[in-house]
Amino acid sequence: MNTSLLLTSLVFLPLAGGFLLLFMGGRAQTAKITALAIALLEAALACSTWFCQGAIPSAGAPAGFFLYEDFPWIEQLGIRYILGMDGISLLLVILATVVTVIAMLVSWRSITEKITLHYLLLLAMESGIIGVFLSLDLFLFYLFWELMLIPMFFLIGIWGHGRNIYSAVKFFLYTLVGSLLMLLAIIALYLIHGAQSGMYSFSLAALLGTHFSPATGLWLYAAFLLAFAVKFPIVPLHTWLPDAHTDAPTAGSVILAGLLLKTGAYGLIRFGYPLFPEAARTLTPLLIGLAVTGIIYASWIAFAQKDMKRLVAYSSVGHMGFVALGIAVWTPVALSGALLQMLNHGLTTTALFALVGMLDERAHTRQIEDYGGLWGKIPLFSVFFVLFAMASAGLPGLNNFVGEFLVLTGSFKAAHLATILAFIGVILPLVYTVRLIQELIFQKERRTLPLSDLTLREMSVLAFLALCDIYIGMHPAPLLDILKQPVALLTGGVP
Amino acid sequence: MTATDLFIALPIILLAVGALVTLLVGAITRTTNIGIVIALAATLGAAFWLMQSPPTLPAPTLGLSAGGLSRLFGVFFCLLAAGVLCLSVAYNRERGISGEEYPSVLLFTTFGMLALASATNLLTLFLGLEAMSFGFYILVAIDLQRGVSGETGLKYLLPGALSTAFLAFGIALLYTVSGTLSLHELMQFTLTSGTPDPIALAGWGCLLAGLAFKLSLAPAHLWTPDVYQGAPAPVVAFLSGGSKAATILFLLLLLPQAVDVSALRIPLCALSLFSMMIGNCAALRQNHVRRLMAYSSIAQMGYVVLALLSGKSGGYQAAAFYAIAYGTISLAAFGAITVIERNGGGETLDDYRGVGSRQPFAAGVLALSLFALAGIPPTAGFTGKFLIFSAAIRSGEITLAVTGILLTAVSVYYYLRVVVALYFNHADNTEDTQPRSIPTAPEYAVLIAAATTILILGLWPGKLIELLSRA
Repeated sequence: MNTSLLLTSLVFLPLAGGFLLLFMGGRAQTAKITALAIALLEAALACSTWFCQGAIPSAGAPAGFFLYEDFPWIEQLGIRYILGMDGISLLLVILATVVTVIAMLVSWRSITEKITLHYLLLLAMESGIIGVFLSLDLFLFYLFWELMLIPMFFLIGIWGHGRNIYSAVKFFLYTLVGSLLMLLAIIALYLIHGAQSGMYSFSLAALLGTHFSPATGLWLYAAFLLAFAVKFPIVPLHTWLPDAHTDAPTAGSVILAGLLLKTGAYGLIRFGYPLFPEAARTLTPLLIGLAVTGIIYASWIAFAQKDMKRLVAYSSVGHMGFVALGIAVWTPVALSGALLQMLNHGLTTTALFALVGMLDERAHTRQIEDYGGLWGKIPLFSVFFVLFAMASAGLPGLNNFVGEFLVLTGSFKAAHLATILAFIGVILPLVYTVRLIQELIFQKERRTLPLSDLTLREMSVLAFLALCDIYIGMHPAPLLDILKQPVALLTGGVP
Repeated sequence: MTATDLFIALPIILLAVGALVTLLVGAITRTTNIGIVIALAATLGAAFWLMQSPPTLPAPTLGLSAGGLSRLFGVFFCLLAAGVLCLSVAYNRERGISGEEYPSVLLFTTFGMLALASATNLLTLFLGLEAMSFGFYILVAIDLQRGVSGETGLKYLLPGALSTAFLAFGIALLYTVSGTLSLHELMQFTLTSGTPDPIALAGWGCLLAGLAFKLSLAPAHLWTPDVYQGAPAPVVAFLSGGSKAATILFLLLLLPQAVDVSALRIPLCALSLFSMMIGNCAALRQNHVRRLMAYSSIAQMGYVVLALLSGKSGGYQAAAFYAIAYGTISLAAFGAITVIERNGGGETLDDYRGVGSRQPFAAGVLALSLFALAGIPPTAGFTGKFLIFSAAIRSGEITLAVTGILLTAVSVYYYLRVVVALYFNHADNTEDTQPRSIPTAPEYAVLIAAATTILILGLWPGKLIELLSRA
């Protein structure tokens, strides 16, 4: 199989398809179906890369990257167009395509105005996110990193509800401030490396060997960390997330939780740690502390939420805390756990946001106290709700358990106290999840709401996610096998 | 005068003759469009001629330069003028601005810019700048139907005259020190290594004060919001894109020739910092779109000064790139504003509500230019800021770079306010009944060309960077 330009087509197929939608004029139904077809095609393309793992990489590809494309772009500044795929990117790209399809399906009926634009933005965002997961040139990475903000800003602003404009602007500003400082750090890195080696380049492979004085390294790493931590979100910087989630339309929430948060973690794994190993080690205690604080604090706050979407949003912050912990300790087991947890969180939280969206679509309220007795009224919905809530709470046999278990196992040796505290964070979600299930599903009905059970479209989405959850929970080995080599290569430098 | 002289001077002559012919045609026929067509032909012809490489670089007897930078900016000024002319047709008809004086003065202004671009002598440089400013004094007040026009004209003319006095006095002082007006030698004498002559410093102080006005740098920025608000929209596009770029070019023709510019570091630092801070912070409180854009331009010029400060480490190229990028963005932004206002839209953020659905094309171009001004990739604004900050970091201006980038984050907030008004806020129902209006063909052409350039300079800036580094 000829794999040249496969990655480029992966990145740009959705964007090109999105522009195709523009020519459909007012025919919203056609546009909608075309968009879904493009997203499905993209997902098929992403899955096909699974079979490229044995491919012989082109010359010049760094170890572990089985697909690699490298072209000159802005030669005057040493900027190249480099895309590469290793096991980590592979799994995240597949997740991105799957979550985009789901985002389209869950908003199939709820979006009634400017339909074409909505699907165009979803496709544009898919391009941006996949670009982030594949770029190996810092300039290109930054381009995609900023590019994915704009569609999300419009998604929240145009189709959101409540204080959506406030939330959209807050989201944009928060993430941008972090990124801008990262831009300065990228430039500084480029100049330092250029001065040392005489070759000015933004390519990750070239920049990896740069030496800094400890203070410079620390400042640059801090700028990178800030950008990634805002997206992550790591606790003191998380306040944009509940607002953005609450006011976003369902598709926006799904992409935000399922994909956008992953880009922060991915950036830290791909760029932050490898570029600044020493500075990263210096700041490890800080990151561990913040991660554990996040796990406990977010669960605590989640317990007090009355709005279901806010509750899921806070639970998301908690789960990403585990990812942060796994990355912070940087041992092979913990890092694999963190990566697996990213996938799990992507699948489970996507499902939860979709479920909440479905309730909201029917009854137009997200207050927990308005619901009750769903088990008797909409049994199918309730079954899925209980399943995903339990998965999110880390029930053994379902996917989140595996990720959390690996993170805790991997980090115990490196940080006893933090791991013990984080373990409390495994129990806390159970508390609010059980409460949520009890109030929603088993409590007596409190208000008569116009609820109908799942449609075939909704059911197929949820059934697919449920299968993924159960499969990963029971048999995570294939995924861990894929992660094994890249994780070993990444952690090799840090004992 | 030799054939080479003629070759190099031809674009300038073309514009001057064009301006006179337009005036004469006005005496024969009262059809406004003929003047516009002649002016368009003159600008495009000059632009085409400037793209040809001349036989030798400086013109032997006229003392006009035809270096890479001069020709590049010359082409840019001519194309910008052509774009503004295209935008003006429908707008002027709507506002009742008629007569041959509009295209004629516009050509005369472009003539000034071109003379400035090809100067090798400080006096030519000054005369070019003044010819340009003279044109703008008339252009900003050309809308005689409206009362604010006269006020706007005065607000631009009076500080303008003051700045001219400063410039002339500064040039006189520099001449006293160096005894020459030739750019290269004058720079060598006035900005030497070691302690410079106090009179030379005073001269530079006056020169910078004058130029700060033209570039609307804080604290000489007070005229900007009023003029941006009162002048016709296409004229603002030209003023914002053209006169700023010309003034930057003025500095770019001088500063790289100096032996050591460190004597100017502190005043330039102060101008840059004040402009970035005052421009960005004041823009936050504006509800009038044009005033907001005026403060934004003050801030943007602060970034250019940051680039000039770090000149030796690539800052001059960055400033030149940003001048062209900013000019293109101005054309796109004010072009879109022209279309929106021409179709009966108001000028405040409230009036802009729902424009995104009423006038999708103009709103889209405006949004793109706002994102470009905010420095979001992949736009010309991003590449420009990237080059500026690279130069700043390379020359060790870390504090200024960090301040600048944080203020960029502030600026994003007010640019987003406009985007929010365009797309997120729905207009009241009464306004929704307005018929959707379509831009005219020339407006489409200019806006598409400007928007494409913004994206191309964002995605493939290599060619322009190469041209600038060779110049």
